[in-house]
Amino acid sequence: MKKAFLLLALLSPSLIFATTSTQLEGGFKLGPAIILVTILVLFIVVGIVFRAKDTNDFFAAGRKISKVGSGMAIASNWMSAASFLGMAALMYGTGYHGLSYVIGWTGGYVLLLILMAGQIRKYGKYTAADFIGDRYYSRPLRIAGAVVAILISIAYCVGQFGGIGLLFRWILGIEYGLAVIIGGSVVLTYTLISGMLGVTKNMQIQYVIIIISFLIPLFLLTYKFDYFWLLPQIGYGSVVSDIVKGIPVSEVDNLVNSFGNNFAITPSPEYAMPWDPSTGQTFFQFMAISFSLMVGTAGLPHVIQRFYVVPKVRDARWSVVWGLFFISILYWSAPVYSALGTILSAHPEVGKLSKDAIVVYTAQLGNINPLVVGLLAAGGVSAAFSTVSGLLVAGASAFSHDLYVKVINPTCSPAKQLMMARLATVLMAIIVSLIALLKLALIGQLVAVAFSLAGCTIFPLFLLGIWWSGSNRTGATWGLIVGSSVSLLAIVYFVAAKFDVVLPAHDFINYWLGAWYFAWIGAPLAILTNIVVSNFTEETPIEIKKFLVEQVHS
Amino acid sequence: MENNNNPEEKDYNISFFKPTTPLAKFNRNLIIGLFTVWAVAIFGFQILLRIVETPTPEKAYENYELVWDDVKSGNASVADKQVFIKSVLSVLGKITIDPNDRLFLSNSVNKLTLGLVPETEKNAFISKIVAFKNSDFDNPDYQELKNGLSIASAGYIGVSPNTLEAKLIPFELITANSKTIDSKAVESIMAKYLIHNQSFITDYYFLGFPFHYFYTAVFLLILFVGLCLYYCIATDIAMKKLGIVED
Repeated sequence: MKKAFLLLALLSPSLIFATTSTQLEGGFKLGPAIILVTILVLFIVVGIVFRAKDTNDFFAAGRKISKVGSGMAIASNWMSAASFLGMAALMYGTGYHGLSYVIGWTGGYVLLLILMAGQIRKYGKYTAADFIGDRYYSRPLRIAGAVVAILISIAYCVGQFGGIGLLFRWILGIEYGLAVIIGGSVVLTYTLISGMLGVTKNMQIQYVIIIISFLIPLFLLTYKFDYFWLLPQIGYGSVVSDIVKGIPVSEVDNLVNSFGNNFAITPSPEYAMPWDPSTGQTFFQFMAISFSLMVGTAGLPHVIQRFYVVPKVRDARWSVVWGLFFISILYWSAPVYSALGTILSAHPEVGKLSKDAIVVYTAQLGNINPLVVGLLAAGGVSAAFSTVSGLLVAGASAFSHDLYVKVINPTCSPAKQLMMARLATVLMAIIVSLIALLKLALIGQLVAVAFSLAGCTIFPLFLLGIWWSGSNRTGATWGLIVGSSVSLLAIVYFVAAKFDVVLPAHDFINYWLGAWYFAWIGAPLAILTNIVVSNFTEETPIEIKKFLVEQVHS
Repeated sequence: MENNNNPEEKDYNISFFKPTTPLAKFNRNLIIGLFTVWAVAIFGFQILLRIVETPTPEKAYENYELVWDDVKSGNASVADKQVFIKSVLSVLGKITIDPNDRLFLSNSVNKLTLGLVPETEKNAFISKIVAFKNSDFDNPDYQELKNGLSIASAGYIGVSPNTLEAKLIPFELITANSKTIDSKAVESIMAKYLIHNQSFITDYYFLGFPFHYFYTAVFLLILFVGLCLYYCIATDIAMKKLGIVED
């Protein structure tokens, strides 16, 4: 076993890479490119075999997915570029603070399960806007829900396209802008061919590819640098304590990175200590990010939508358990890359690395076999693809089903509806590509914007809609207005700051309403507004109350 | 609103805190229990960390404080300067260091190191710095120039050539762009990078991890899966007891 590992780890890098060890980026990489193309062809083939035949297939996969399969699909759908690349990047840059994203993105599933999963399935609608329009008996709210769902999908996709661009740049050796366009075109083609049934099948395959590609380099790296490699998710405790206490050169003379620098580091407690001053992150930001990501998780349309595709209510609940378990395997592992990357890149010779690519760079710096690094990069592309396809379907559903069919053209044929869904997919992909080209922030941070937006808008509507029959149309409307206003304020200030435009009280707003955590105040305000206004306005119609009691809570 | 669809005047109001169906009552109790565990485990622990933390300096900061006043006033001995340089290098070896902060510290390392070089050796030493600065990684003589400068610098700053300080110093000498030391900047930068929020929770190690790190990065995720598992099992049992058959 040891020999096999050693052989894999020590195969000459120059066989595949057209670069030297001094360049982590370099030109076209044949091995990784072949792996990537093979995986993409596999996705397309699976997409064609299981392609959508009608709108029921396109939106909800014909409700033929098992709970374990749905759990894998949830995990694959969830494990985006933000999880695969972004999480390690955040920890690499800010140490313990990055863990706020880990617990935010997993803890939210507990909220989602105990507050919503079964109830949403019992309510029996296809999309988030469907639920909002029906529960709040309001066409304008349905439209607003659909628009918000589209905006969330776009915000979420921007980070994914950034990740796709980064990895296509690394594999193809082309510039970032071109990489975004090529990668975006491929994922768009795949989504258009397959629809959700194909997507769901693919998601299960993608999960396997994502997790294998993520774990293999970890075993190799921990083995190579003499840590407990059988279970790196626990074994990296020693890596963390080594970073905190420092590793003297004299102890690691025979261990070097791909630059030939010793596997050594000065004592760096800032990597593990909470809200360290050197990271520029505070206790408040840690708490606000955790909370915002959690409520955002329970309000993301494309996540909620996954509960419609399981055949039974019980399956909806159990699919969350499976989904969270599958997700956690990746989330236990991502910090290992960050910790090893911290040591491997500690020498000034390595230079300043792009944080978002630290997962791939860590494998390269650790002199892992280039084919394994290629598989890792292809896994990253799979992670971004699986999420983007789910998001594009969710956004397309919101447009064609909730806006076009329910509002604009109720008599349209299923064929026309499918065409509108595909048109919406193309439009969204173009918009997302254009925003991704601006490179506004780290992948994880861009995705966090979508979470806060969902936490301020969709989450309060679902929470109160399910658990309080007193929440009415007027209350929901005002709650949505307040949540949207907070979101708009935070996003406008964030974008303004990126373009060096100074707005009044910009320091105050950018700190207390940061773009990745404004839901800490937006969500409670939206809920409070909904409750207060509902108490002073008309009662919820008896049909809705009756439905809640008899169908959702019985 | 007139109640045309409810001739029996049955109460169809439902709220989380006033559940009107057996399933809703069961759910309320279960959710309150799980939510409490969830919230305390996540936010309660971080609040506890915040309450018990104390700003704790690294050893390098304590050493720096011992010599800084003399370095600042120009009265430092050779040993003091060497201690100062070693302390500063321990900050320069951190990957989180901001490029602007690095420049201030590189300048101070550069000035003090040059001050430690005897006049007779100064020109030769500066030539080594310039030669290394003009070389890049792909040059055949790069490693030789780097090692030469590293060994020479190690002797002046009082460390063995096989130490991290010796490996780091050539890069700081070539990064420096000024021969002056900005005292105020150095003071704030040293405090920023060498003082950390620590407590008995962070200083206790479990499976190699500082305990709080293990708790947040590993244990909380296990807890989340456990809470979800418990919820599903409890709900399945309740469904049977309540005689509810889900579609």
